[in-house]
Amino acid sequence: MKAEYANPFIQAAVKTFKKELDVQLNRNSLVVKNSPLPSKELSIIIGVTGAVRGQVVYSMDDNVAMSVAKTMIPGRLPVELKKLKNSAVSELANIITGQASIILAGDNSKIDITPPAVFGGAAAVIDFLSLQTISLSFLSEIGSFEVNIALTEENV
Amino acid sequence: MKKGMIVDDAAVMRMRLRDILSTRFSIVAEAENGKQAIEEYQKYNPDFVTMDISMAEMNGMEALKGLIHDFPDANIVMVSAVGQKALVFEALNNGAKDFIIKPFEAERVLMAIDRLFE
Repeated sequence: MKAEYANPFIQAAVKTFKKELDVQLNRNSLVVKNSPLPSKELSIIIGVTGAVRGQVVYSMDDNVAMSVAKTMIPGRLPVELKKLKNSAVSELANIITGQASIILAGDNSKIDITPPAVFGGAAAVIDFLSLQTISLSFLSEIGSFEVNIALTEENV
Repeated sequence: MKKGMIVDDAAVMRMRLRDILSTRFSIVAEAENGKQAIEEYQKYNPDFVTMDISMAEMNGMEALKGLIHDFPDANIVMVSAVGQKALVFEALNNGAKDFIIKPFEAERVLMAIDRLFE
């Protein structure tokens, strides 16, 4: 796991929150851990293949997800927003991963990302593989946001 | 009024694109994967398509190739977060008319569609 994988995700997350939500995301901490196990209520997993591969797991609390949905699709009723919350956070994660993949791929490589999978709630139990992970946490006016990056180079 | 189809696996993105495009165009169909996009295209014969790439079942790059094979004059604009140079070139070389990278501004989307019909 290379430490330089963190920077593309930091840049992508800050840019995407600003552009999509008009929210300033501030770095809080960076820790290295043994799996991408998320720590918050709602999580989004995106698989990465190609020049680098592995997975990225985004995580946030439910109230943050509601704020994301409210901003991404304004003017909708709360009942509708509740239904679209997972779609909104999936798209946010997809955009951040896509933006980071542009930086990681550079001029010649190709990186594919899988469609996002969302899980959350008390019933969700997922065993994560043991993968060295960089865990980034961010703070913002709508709450905190976590990005767990477990990536390796293709030939590793 | 020109007819459009929106292809994206995320419901929120389909809603946002519909909000933007329906100010000037008639959105006649939506699809959430490449396979559905080909079926809906055959049914509605839209004047333009916005096409996401990362989707389950059949991704947008495969759908682009399939649509251009069957309908060489199809106006397809890619709208994707995965805007790596290699993918942009692959899409344009396979008949996409433009490539919009998410996150996007509404004006960028409208400009890309307007340009198809100049």
